[in-house]
Amino acid sequence: MNSEIEPRLDKLLAGMDDVRVKLIRPRRIRIDVPSESLPTLLELLQGKASYVHLSAISCVDWIDNGEFELVYHVWSYESQSLVSAHTRIPRDPGVYLSIYDLYQPAAFFERDIHEMYGVFFEGSPDMEKFILTEWDGPPPMRKEFNSEEFVNQNFTWEEYRPEWLEEIEAEGGGIVKPASHARR
Amino acid sequence: MKRKDISIPVEQPKRSNPLANVFDELMDFCRSRSMFMLHYCTGCGAIELPPAMTSRFDMERLGIQPMVTPRQADILLITGYVSIKTLKRVIMTYEQMASPKYVVGICSCTVNGGMYWQSYATAKVLKDYLPVDIYIAGCMPRPEAVIEGLRELMSDIKQGKANSWQRYYKNYDYYLGNQQKLFGDNWQTPTDIIAEARHYNLISEQTEGKHTAVLQQHQKPLEAFEARLKHQQGQAREQ
Repeated sequence: MNSEIEPRLDKLLAGMDDVRVKLIRPRRIRIDVPSESLPTLLELLQGKASYVHLSAISCVDWIDNGEFELVYHVWSYESQSLVSAHTRIPRDPGVYLSIYDLYQPAAFFERDIHEMYGVFFEGSPDMEKFILTEWDGPPPMRKEFNSEEFVNQNFTWEEYRPEWLEEIEAEGGGIVKPASHARR
Repeated sequence: MKRKDISIPVEQPKRSNPLANVFDELMDFCRSRSMFMLHYCTGCGAIELPPAMTSRFDMERLGIQPMVTPRQADILLITGYVSIKTLKRVIMTYEQMASPKYVVGICSCTVNGGMYWQSYATAKVLKDYLPVDIYIAGCMPRPEAVIEGLRELMSDIKQGKANSWQRYYKNYDYYLGNQQKLFGDNWQTPTDIIAEARHYNLISEQTEGKHTAVLQQHQKPLEAFEARLKHQQGQAREQ
């Protein structure tokens, strides 16, 4: 059955242009699709190919290309296979359509991506803050946000080799790591 | 394992009763043998606590028991990384506890951020925000190490050395300053620490300062903290 998945999808998606289907592993399929036909693709997958379960939406920040890659993972209980639909949207303005009307769990993932990457999903029921309710900075998962710099500006560090450690080291304990490996 | 000694010299008033010190020592001994522990399990270190508390390693033979509320607990045990959101709750929990109270930081994360040192969301050095009595480092420390650390705390209490809670009152300005740096100037807890310090007679020169002055500008009288989600708040208003 597994080997039949790809031909079936090919047949299903024959009417769509610009869709590339690739079988990564027997039950793992990657579909690359332009952003304007992604909702159509998902509708076909859900309605005609039994991919009824949206496992996750993930986001990748391709800062050098000026693009966000959105990956929609949908699972079929019938053919026991996972389809990942990859699409790319321009990083600026970073606005895309919500698929809430197709898959209701999408509201959760879209809200999370909005918070972490700043991508706005039109038609999503709630784009309020989700986990970072007490965070006023930029969306922290964007590549231009330098976490290390932020940390060094806002936090102080405990001394790595304090005096009292010498006592312990004299007894044969302490940090095994050489001081040259210590954090700046 | 060992804590850094940054104790502040305490001037003890002269006591007329010759037995007062004996009573104090007795009290310290009794206190060290009966401790209730509030474990604020923020991170992975919490996994090591069930074996430490239950029959395998059995903390209770040392007189340490888990307790469910901060107001009835002696030890605040923080097991792992503290995110900035969590730190607010930890501070409020700490301030609700009755003195004398002790803070134990378990795992490397409470010492220096641990493996989350690069994260924008976690506070790094716990003792900047709360006076920590003892750190039990390790990622994660085994139950033996946890118990060893708690025994160290017990011996400190017995010798009257574990007085970090006094440090919080005496250096409140320093701790509040660090908290304000992280949470913004509008940060306020429901507890009036300065009044408490006055009550315990632990006011020092560092209790009040420029940070407490900022606090007093916007400090509202006691108000329950509304730890609810936004949409629930909306519902409550509609009702």
